[in-house]
Amino acid sequence: MRLSVIMLAVTLVACGPPGPPLEISELEVTKPIPGTYMSAGFFVLTNNTDEVISITSVDSPQFGRVEIHETTVTDGVSRMRRLDVLEVPAQGSVVLQRGGKHLMLMQAQDIGDSVTLQFLSGDSPVLSVDYVFPKDN
Amino acid sequence: MSPRNLTVAMALAIALAAGVFVAARNQAPVAPTSAMLLPAPKPVPAFSLLNQFGEPVDQSVFRGQWDLVFFGFTHCPDICPTTLQVLAAAKKALADQGRELLPRIVLVSVDPERDTPELLARYVDYFGDGNLGLTGTLEELRKLTGGLGIYFEKRPGEGDDYAVDHSAAVLVIDPDGGFHALFSGQHVVDNFVHDLPILMGER
Repeated sequence: MRLSVIMLAVTLVACGPPGPPLEISELEVTKPIPGTYMSAGFFVLTNNTDEVISITSVDSPQFGRVEIHETTVTDGVSRMRRLDVLEVPAQGSVVLQRGGKHLMLMQAQDIGDSVTLQFLSGDSPVLSVDYVFPKDN
Repeated sequence: MSPRNLTVAMALAIALAAGVFVAARNQAPVAPTSAMLLPAPKPVPAFSLLNQFGEPVDQSVFRGQWDLVFFGFTHCPDICPTTLQVLAAAKKALADQGRELLPRIVLVSVDPERDTPELLARYVDYFGDGNLGLTGTLEELRKLTGGLGIYFEKRPGEGDDYAVDHSAAVLVIDPDGGFHALFSGQHVVDNFVHDLPILMGER
């Protein structure tokens, strides 16, 4: 009897309102340095599902092109490579940070106070987020 | 050992330990903790490039001040601005300490195809006043980088869409134009703030 109550409770918790499948946190987009037309994006993506989520492209109306890149420093040499896919592990996170994986946002068009990023897996949008530049940036 | 002898022995031990401690403090080696010092400064090789104002400059541009030299390019969104921000923050921290001897920050473009003097001017200005940007022909650039052991290589790409692999080190050039020391690896503000006054002979 007691066991079945506990099991029922566990079931109820497991069936609670699900969080969003994919969450973004610690988002930062750099403003293009004067004279240049590119920015970098850094953030943490968290996958709340039991399946790997594969980000294959990112769109932004404020940029002509967005690519997922990875910087590595090996034997004192900095290299930057484009990634075809960014995998967010099931029930896990992927970190995009300076000196590592990052978004490279190119061909900046009229950038105002904010940037919109839409993450796609194949043709399916999986997350859209607005980033507002801090006032002092 | 009698209690009296024990007391004397303990006093001696404490005095010895204190002496060692004081001696260690007085003779603490003031050495850089992150920078690698060259056994002897190596003269910057002869070259002819353009500064960010489009003026021709040669190796003598490195005489007269301490320089922190980074090799990068303006179409690099991640490691280049991050490194220059670290250098600018370190310079500001040294200024905030009231130090008068401050290094100049130098960006040598390893992408002279795209990095015109005009573009470099806006770029280096963004990271503070008094910075220097160098660009020019690949041939002249290789004279400078080759002589300093700096690697760079353009990666294949479509048209204007390419990246350049490059050494991530920051070189310290002394006021005599000698390659004096090198910061490698992940660049951290505190490492520069700690080591630069030592390298520049301020303490």
